[in-house]
Amino acid sequence: MERSIIHLNIADFAVAVEKLIDSSLKDYPLIIAPKGSARAVVYDMSEEAFQAGIRKGMPLRKASRICSSSRILPPRFDRYEQAMRDLVKQTLPYSPFVESGEGDGHLFIDITGTSRLFGPPVDVAWRLNKKIKQALSLNPIWSVAPNKLVAKVATRLVKPVGEYIVGAGEEKEFLKPLRIGLIPGIEKADLTRLKEFNFSFVSEVLAMELEHLKISFGKRAMFIHDTIRGVDHSPVLAVTQSKPELRADHEFAEDTNDIQILKSALYILTEKICLVLREKRKAAEKIKIEINYSDGLRNTAQMMIRPVTANELTLYTKTLSLLDRSVKRRIRIRHMSLVCEKYVFPQIQMELFEKTNRKRENIIKTIDEIRSRFGYDAVKPGITKLALQG
Amino acid sequence: MSQDFTKRGCDLMIGTSGYSYPEWVDAGFYPKGTQSGKMLSVYSKVFSTTELNYTWYQMPKAQAIERMCKNMPKDFYFAAKLTRTMTHEIDPDLWKAQAAQYKDGISPLVQSGQLLAVLLQMPPYFNRSQKNRSYLAYLIDELCSLPLAVEFRHRSWAQDSVFAELEKRKVALVSVDEPDLPNLFPKLDVVTNPDLFYIRFHGRNKDAWGSGSMQKQFDYNYTDKELDEWTDTKLEKMTSKTKKGAIFFNNHVRAQAPENALRLISRLIKTGKIQDRQAEDINGTLNNPFEHS
Repeated sequence: MERSIIHLNIADFAVAVEKLIDSSLKDYPLIIAPKGSARAVVYDMSEEAFQAGIRKGMPLRKASRICSSSRILPPRFDRYEQAMRDLVKQTLPYSPFVESGEGDGHLFIDITGTSRLFGPPVDVAWRLNKKIKQALSLNPIWSVAPNKLVAKVATRLVKPVGEYIVGAGEEKEFLKPLRIGLIPGIEKADLTRLKEFNFSFVSEVLAMELEHLKISFGKRAMFIHDTIRGVDHSPVLAVTQSKPELRADHEFAEDTNDIQILKSALYILTEKICLVLREKRKAAEKIKIEINYSDGLRNTAQMMIRPVTANELTLYTKTLSLLDRSVKRRIRIRHMSLVCEKYVFPQIQMELFEKTNRKRENIIKTIDEIRSRFGYDAVKPGITKLALQG
Repeated sequence: MSQDFTKRGCDLMIGTSGYSYPEWVDAGFYPKGTQSGKMLSVYSKVFSTTELNYTWYQMPKAQAIERMCKNMPKDFYFAAKLTRTMTHEIDPDLWKAQAAQYKDGISPLVQSGQLLAVLLQMPPYFNRSQKNRSYLAYLIDELCSLPLAVEFRHRSWAQDSVFAELEKRKVALVSVDEPDLPNLFPKLDVVTNPDLFYIRFHGRNKDAWGSGSMQKQFDYNYTDKELDEWTDTKLEKMTSKTKKGAIFFNNHVRAQAPENALRLISRLIKTGKIQDRQAEDINGTLNNPFEHS
């Protein structure tokens, strides 16, 4: 059955929410960035500030120099999350399948099969926009498309205001003239490789057969092949259906950028995740790390785990590399989270040659046994000492 | 005794307001599994004209319009609604720029000679106030390079002075078939442009009119008698005064619009008002999908 997905995208969401709370900000270029931090960077900015040359991630000092008339506000994530909840509430009468981003002003609504009840999908999208304008004074860009991928690209094209309708069957033609960098899911490494072939536009990559793509992109070939043709079967999750993920958090008693303490905390998080995984008889396949700095900014990094594992000694070697990738600033860190975004049943095929894995498994098994008898604190790996002391 | 409309030199085009409705698949107008992006090509095998609805929701983009026309027969015609930001959600500072943007977006249809008219559908609250009169005059001036048709919903515009002004500017007044309600524009057969008359059948669902739900408001099935009110009298007069006539059915719910449009065509043939040959010209092969479903 043909799907009808609405994507709502509120441009410069943090700015839009701040302006909503304080209408006196309406006439000023606005920058959202943590104050009082020497190396703070821009988290979000208004359209006026963008036009003046300010960009996300730009050092605040530079941004203030470029646009001296701008007002600067610290990010207030709780407000953005509340605004997201209000947005979701407006859409629920039309569908239970509403998937929202994390306080970023993005919403997907699946209204497939509702046209006899609510009318044509495009009319639903327009009415939703009107309703949100009236109730929340926010003006989302909207698009209607047969899947999330195409709907997302469509709103990107009309930023900061507007709408875009793409019919089923038009996906490929719609994406054809666009720059490859506009397509979600195409990663930096893919872009670099495509650049080596002198490819900048979707139309150029479309000329390549899957077999040719496989030579250069290996396992990524199929994904690239489908994505540039606008093929995306991913469902819009129901609002009640939380993402099947496991999460562990660590709040530092004092903000720190001491790498040993960070590593120590990371081990604790890895251990917590693996413990739950083992209880579920599952293994981690995709892991994400989230770093919250003391100036309010956030960095994330994620990776696929191959082979899948629920052993913290093995997984820790992977999460360490994630930590290395995500800690790029010299600002102190306040909070660290480890998220297992995807977990699966572990492989049951035995290793042909016994490796150290068996030894690691035995250690973990023994620790689990001790803890099950004497409690979690009965035994602690030495590496966790630093973080626990902090 | 009625006369064949073609003999008077009036080409009649009949179609529906919009063509992309998923529920028309369930209703049997489109074959099962027809994707919305492929609907127009199926539609064009049945009708020779359509009214583009989506241009009301979204500013037309030349590239998308070009893409849409690429596989269409050259003798298929489009009427296009003017975007809502110039009719329902007017921004006094932006509408002029938007009119220019609209003209750019619609230009592939102008160039290919397939643009029948641009429909300025004014909302029910758009009454004949001084402010609205001058806005409409400016808007028409801004779009004067395009063939225009104006639809009023508010009764206050039903005045000879308005018709005379439209006549002066060669803008077609849209005749509407809608419920008889106190403030609604009446069913008239006034012709203000010798090149084109334009009729829209909205249905006569009195109870649901103004309900805010399109699915209720446009849920109506015309009876033969109601269609004959137009073919027997009003159309006689209108076809004698113009070179071209466009008739669109907007009662889209459960595909009543295409069914009623096809029924109107067959009644016109039956009564000798159009010949089979002309019917084939204006409606392709006279393929009636409902007969096969």
